[in-house]
Parts: sequence; structure tokens; C-alpha cells
Amino acid sequence: MHTGLKRLAPVLLSLGLLVAACAESAGGPETSAEDGAPEKVQITMWQDTSITADCIIEVAVNSFNEQSDTIEVIAEKKPNMMDAVRPALAAGAGPDVVPTHGPSFVAQFALAGQLMPLDDFVDVYGWDELFVPWALNLGRVGGTLYSLPQELETMVLFYNKTVFEEHGWEPPTTMDELEALAAEIQEAGIIPFAGGAADAIDNNEFYFTEFANKVAGPEKVYQALKGEIPWTDPDFVTSIETLNRMFQAGYWMGSPENFLVTDFSTARAAFASGEAAMTMEGTWIYDSLVGEMFTEDSEHGNDWGWAPMPSLTGEAIYNIGIGSTQSINQASERPEAAAEFLTHYNSPEIQARLLTECQSATAPIRLDPSQLEGVEPRMANLLAEFAKASDEDRYGYTTWTFFPPKTDQVIYEEIEKVWVGDMTPEEYLVAVDAAFQEELQAGETLVVPDR
Amino acid sequence: MPWLFIAPITLLHLVVVVAPSIGGMYYALTDWSGIGKADFIGLENFRTLFFDDGNFRLAIRHNVLWLAFFLTVPFIMALAVATLLAQTRRGSMAIRTAFFVPYVLPSVVVASIWRMLLDPRLGFGTLLENWGIEGFAHPYLGDKNTALGAIAFADNWHWWGFLMILFLTAMQNIPADLYDAAKIDGANRWQEFLNVTLPGIRSTVFFMLMMTAIWSFLVFDYVWILTHGGPAGSSEMLATYLYKQAFQRFEAGYGAAIGITMSAIAGIMATIFVLLRRRGWDV
Repeated sequence: MHTGLKRLAPVLLSLGLLVAACAESAGGPETSAEDGAPEKVQITMWQDTSITADCIIEVAVNSFNEQSDTIEVIAEKKPNMMDAVRPALAAGAGPDVVPTHGPSFVAQFALAGQLMPLDDFVDVYGWDELFVPWALNLGRVGGTLYSLPQELETMVLFYNKTVFEEHGWEPPTTMDELEALAAEIQEAGIIPFAGGAADAIDNNEFYFTEFANKVAGPEKVYQALKGEIPWTDPDFVTSIETLNRMFQAGYWMGSPENFLVTDFSTARAAFASGEAAMTMEGTWIYDSLVGEMFTEDSEHGNDWGWAPMPSLTGEAIYNIGIGSTQSINQASERPEAAAEFLTHYNSPEIQARLLTECQSATAPIRLDPSQLEGVEPRMANLLAEFAKASDEDRYGYTTWTFFPPKTDQVIYEEIEKVWVGDMTPEEYLVAVDAAFQEELQAGETLVVPDR
Repeated sequence: MPWLFIAPITLLHLVVVVAPSIGGMYYALTDWSGIGKADFIGLENFRTLFFDDGNFRLAIRHNVLWLAFFLTVPFIMALAVATLLAQTRRGSMAIRTAFFVPYVLPSVVVASIWRMLLDPRLGFGTLLENWGIEGFAHPYLGDKNTALGAIAFADNWHWWGFLMILFLTAMQNIPADLYDAAKIDGANRWQEFLNVTLPGIRSTVFFMLMMTAIWSFLVFDYVWILTHGGPAGSSEMLATYLYKQAFQRFEAGYGAAIGITMSAIAGIMATIFVLLRRRGWDV
């Protein structure tokens, strides 16, 4: 059952892992009942060590523990959380609630028998009504549900509104306008685009995602993901040629070499300070945008705006992404308790609070607009436009959500060879296509909902 | 029964070294992803590695370049400075300590500092530009032509001081009367170095040459912290490539094959030195 993404319509707004061998095994002890109170069973979940994680624990975990008489969730903070998941699961340990980077990672764990099938919980807890159907289906491997999607996200063009107003620039709508504006910005002595891949090479996939969907178009990407056309299609070649032409012009941080040594924080600082005028980022930037980059007491005094990433035709297209997932450990001794917690975690009330209080992207669930009061108006508008675009079939595909893992890695690693001149766009796409065809033959591609 | 005294450590070695090594050899012959079951595929991983994988060949080339650098530059620096320091009394200990300190700093700290120093916007190049000296604000770690050299430079910064201390210690064991005899024979400083100092520390130099040769094919930390093997694979090493295959591409069997190859190279290096010793070389 593949439900088209246009079923997002009634949703209104759905938004956007050497150590663990010694991790506590799934399923902790039961709390003692010294005071005669009913015993609570304990389950574990992992969070990273960020400030946002503290907020998530406060909003989602503590609220659950306060309301439940039978279950206590222990939130364990782990540095490099996602990296720790793999060895923990391989050792038959890890948390009851298992986090992953996204659907492409879930398949690996599911096929190894390390995740618990969730189909039996769907009816019990009403997950099919809670989640948008297409999103729930992204968690299926071989027809069986193994994960719940988290962090619905999309990418747009954020621009430094103050810099734009000072120079009389308007956000572009077409790729031609984008290139022309980038040239003008560069001529004014400003870096057109902030960005970098020094601390995370997978940032490179942002650009493949944007240019493939906005130049070749989402229909072509869909056909290629279904195996109907190869990734060497001329329209994809044009996409990568356009991207490379802009990179060679030095539109990102001044040169491809500078881009390659720039990290996330430096790039974002350059954008906020006005050293760079634009950045192609996703809705995940929300907490940083309002909490660090453009605060009331920022010395630079700049403001920000956003526009849909320009496309070849000028049509506003939004690429859909799932930033992470949650599953239940096959080794969990209390899967029912974990499922009950997941239901609470993904409830509209908690997800709305995660967005408004933690600036954390929400799961793709059905939310009422009234639950989003308190969201920064520009971000609320972005999310509304995203939902509207999904309803009108104006959506594309992020690599980290719809592309199989080996293909994805070729996409973000080999693109650097194009940027440094070791590979042509055609050769790059041959490599991408070879990886994809291998995974297609092996049946390792992911669920792509019908358009 | 002396064997009884070494039994605990032997048992530990069997469990944490020998058994995983045998496991690694087995997995190198499988298509194991790192989780789940592993299917036996014979020598297919090695065939792919040696005949089809351009990135593996590139990594080997980088390790050979690394070997060439570390068998020359730090040895020349360490020998030169140790020779000069051996003749210095005043402030000698302070200088030795200053040169040795980088070696005891954690690699992640040293590499992170060098990443900032080499940054085109924050590093020493920008500082020089502010002083009117142009041309040094270059993205050394982002340029495929300079990335490997920049990493080797940073790694050598922490390494050569240790080498120098080893050589200096060896030099201090050379009998002073050998130098007196050389002086009586009319030898100049260079001839003393060639005919007294070098032969006197030969075994230390050769031992370190052997260890450097082995370590050069295992290098990981500085490369990973500074560039992750990039940009565009221009600083990819066997160890970083192994890590990516095993833990990022989920090709643990293929990664094990790379690991076995690295062990074989290290074994060849050690064998060469053993053969030299058997042929009478004092190494």
C-alpha cells in the first residue's frame, strides 16, 4: 500500500550512533516499591548531549514519566549517539528505543534482525491515524514496519535580509536568476553562499538533492529512484554541470577549496554576520537560526528571510526529508512499554511542544495549526508552504531519505572529485548510477511513495 | 614453571588479539556488512581490492608517499638537532623539553590546533596578511595538491621531537674516547658525525626506520581529524579507507580484506629488517 504524498493535505502542517559494547542491555530493572506505590518498569532511550536534547528530555520524557504509573523512561545522554547504536545492537544491547539517522539505516538493522516489527502496535496505538500514511510507509522493510519517522524536514534558500535590503536584491525564483544574483553578490565583495563540508562530508548531498530536484526536476528523480531511467540521464548531467559551474565560480565561500575546509559553525557565522548573503539549508537550522545566529542581542544586528530554492522553471518545489527514526530494540524485554512511550512521544501535544519550546523538527504527524502557536512566524510560514507544496505535488526527494545508503555515499563523496576537477559530471553520474543499479538489483532500494 | 607466569597474559593475548585476528581473516573472505550473517565469497574481496578498486590504489600511493616523507624529513631533523644538542650544555634540558612536549599532547588536540592554524580565514596565513605578507592564506587542507603534505607537516611537528630524544639518548652512550681518537686523527665535525656518531646510534636508527615503515601504513588519527581522507580522496590512507568501508559503507568483509592487506604490508616491512639482521647488519 503506497499512499501518495498528496495525502499530506489533511495534515495541514507536518514538520520537519566502540563504546557501546558496555552499554546497558535493553530492558532495565523494575523499580522497587519501597513506599508501596505500584512498581514501574524501566525502559531506556538515548539522546545526544546537545542543549536541544535536554529540552527534548524535559518535554517528552519527563512529561511521560509524570503521567505514567507503570513505566519509567530512562533517558541516557550519549556523545556520538548514532555511532554507538551499531555496536550496541550487534552486541545484543542498546536502548529499548533505538534511534537511527533515517530510513536508509533502518533497513540494515532490520535485515539483521535487530529491530522489532512494529505492525502489531499500529492498530493498538492508532499510529496509522497519528502519522501521515506515506511517512509511516517509509519505515517499512520488505513490507514490515520497523521504524517511526522523525524530524520531517525540507531545504530552502535562507538569505540575509539586511544585506539584501542594503543592496536592493530580491530572492530569485529561477536558476538563471540565482546564478545572475550570485554573480552580482560576488561582484559586491560578498560571498554568495555560506556552506562547508569540513566537519561532515555528507553535507555535500544537500547540493545534489537541491540541483537534481530543481534542475532535472522531481519527476525525473522519481523515475530514476524507481529504476525507470538511469542517473546518467542528460537532465541530471545538466544538474551537476550547473552545480559545478557555480562551485567553480567560487560562489560557495570563495572557492571549492575554501568550501571544503569550512565547517558548519564557520559557515553559519559567515551567513549571520553578512559575510555571506545566502545559504542552502534545511528546516533543521531553526533552533540555531533563532537561538544563536539571529538573536536580539546579536552584535551584527542582521535579520534573516527565506525563499523556496529556485528551480529551472521558477516553480517552488520543496524536497521532503526524514532526519531520523525511532524503532524498538529486538532485545527489548518490554516492547509494549516502549511502544506506549513512542505513542506519547509522537502525540500532537508533545510534538507541538518540541517545535515551539525546543525548536526541534517534528515527526510527520497530523497537527492542528492551533497547536503551533509560538512558532516563529517566518518558520511557521515556511512549514505551511511546505505542506501546501506537498499537497500540490510540488515536492522532491532528499537523498538521505529516499536513496539507498551506498548510492547516497557515492553521491556525497564523489561529488568532491567533480569540484576539484578529477571527474566530469558525466563520470560522476556513471558512478552514482553504478551504485544505484547494484542496490536496485539487490533489492536494497527504499520505499518511494507513488506520485 | 616460567610458562605459568606468562599464562595470564598469553590467555589475554589469545582472547583480545589472536582470536579477533583469526575472525578478521575469516570475515575478509565474506560479504559481511558488519551486522547479521556473513556469506563466504572466497577471495572476491581481494580480487576487487587489487584489480577493480581505484580508491584503494590511491590510498596505497598516499601511504607510500607518507612512508617516503617520514623516513626522511623527521630523521634528518632529529639527527641534526640531536647532534647539535649533544654538544650543548647550557639550556639543553629546556630545549629538549620544548621539542619533546608536542609528542605528549593528544593527537586530537594537536590536529585541531593545526586545523585552525592552516585555515585560510583564521590561520597563520591571515595573520601574515595582516602584517602585509601576502600569499600564505591558502586552504591547505582543502586543496587536493597540498592536503596530504599539510597533514604530514602537522603530524611531523609532534613526532620528530620524540625521535630526536631517542637519538640524543643513544648518542650519549657513545664513549667519549671515540670522539677524542677522531680528533687526534684530524676528523672534522662532519667526519665525526659520519664515522663515530652514526655508527654509534645505528641500531637505534634502524629500529626506528623499521617502526616508521610499519607505522606509515597504519596512520589514521591525524588524517581522520584533519581531512577524513579528503578532499576528493586526496589524503585517503589505507586505514581511513578501511574505516569508511567497514563503518560507513557497511562493507565490513571488504574492510577486513583491507586490514589483512595492511597487516601483510607491515609483515613484509618487518621481514625485510629481520633478513637484514640475518645477513649481518647490526640492526
